[in-house]
Amino acid sequence: MPDYDLDTKVKLAIYEITAETGRIPNSSAVSHKIDIDESEVVTAFGRLHAKRLLLPEPDDPSRIRMAPPFSGIATAFPVEANGRNYFANCVWDAYGIAAALHCDAVSRASDGHTGEPLTLEVKNGQPVLKPYVAHFAVPAAHWWDNLIFT
Amino acid sequence: MLLFRSEETVNLWCASHDIPRRPQVNLTQLWQLAVQWYRNRLTLESRRPAPDEMVPIFASLGLTGPFWDPKSDQWR
Repeated sequence: MPDYDLDTKVKLAIYEITAETGRIPNSSAVSHKIDIDESEVVTAFGRLHAKRLLLPEPDDPSRIRMAPPFSGIATAFPVEANGRNYFANCVWDAYGIAAALHCDAVSRASDGHTGEPLTLEVKNGQPVLKPYVAHFAVPAAHWWDNLIFT
Repeated sequence: MLLFRSEETVNLWCASHDIPRRPQVNLTQLWQLAVQWYRNRLTLESRRPAPDEMVPIFASLGLTGPFWDPKSDQWR
């Protein structure tokens, strides 16, 4: 990898591994990929969190809960893209995975109230439009207060 | 942010969770938000939009007012 600063190396490694595998890597996997001591990677996770680029697991700084638009855990927004399976953090991020990967995608989601299956699809680079709506419960000024709820 | 079939199920969800009904966006707006937020996320220069950059992004999609202003103190 070219000689970028550590935080950039870690950020790129996180997203490269995630795009390739469908899973957000932990600090050990990132350490292995870029040949940097794991403790330095964990410290970089903290700095990237301060820059609002990722959210570590609250009880384990070596693991990442969110590297938006990707989720480190299974969610109600699975996304199929490029022949791989990902999880998005929310409905915005379900489209976000298609936008980030620059590919078509399908998210088999569901109605937030009834649980009825609702499919979001990006085809030929455009969303397949349906009369669905996304509800933003939290104002923009507070999105980062509790990102998991937002 | 959750997905709903219609405004009707948004209203039912808000009532059942005692959460005020807040703005809804359609799929065209949501896709454009996703593109503007994430299209460069896997690249070297990627970063989250700064607060001053968010407002024009939202406004370009017709999303205006204090709810969409990350510096608004109306909600504190």
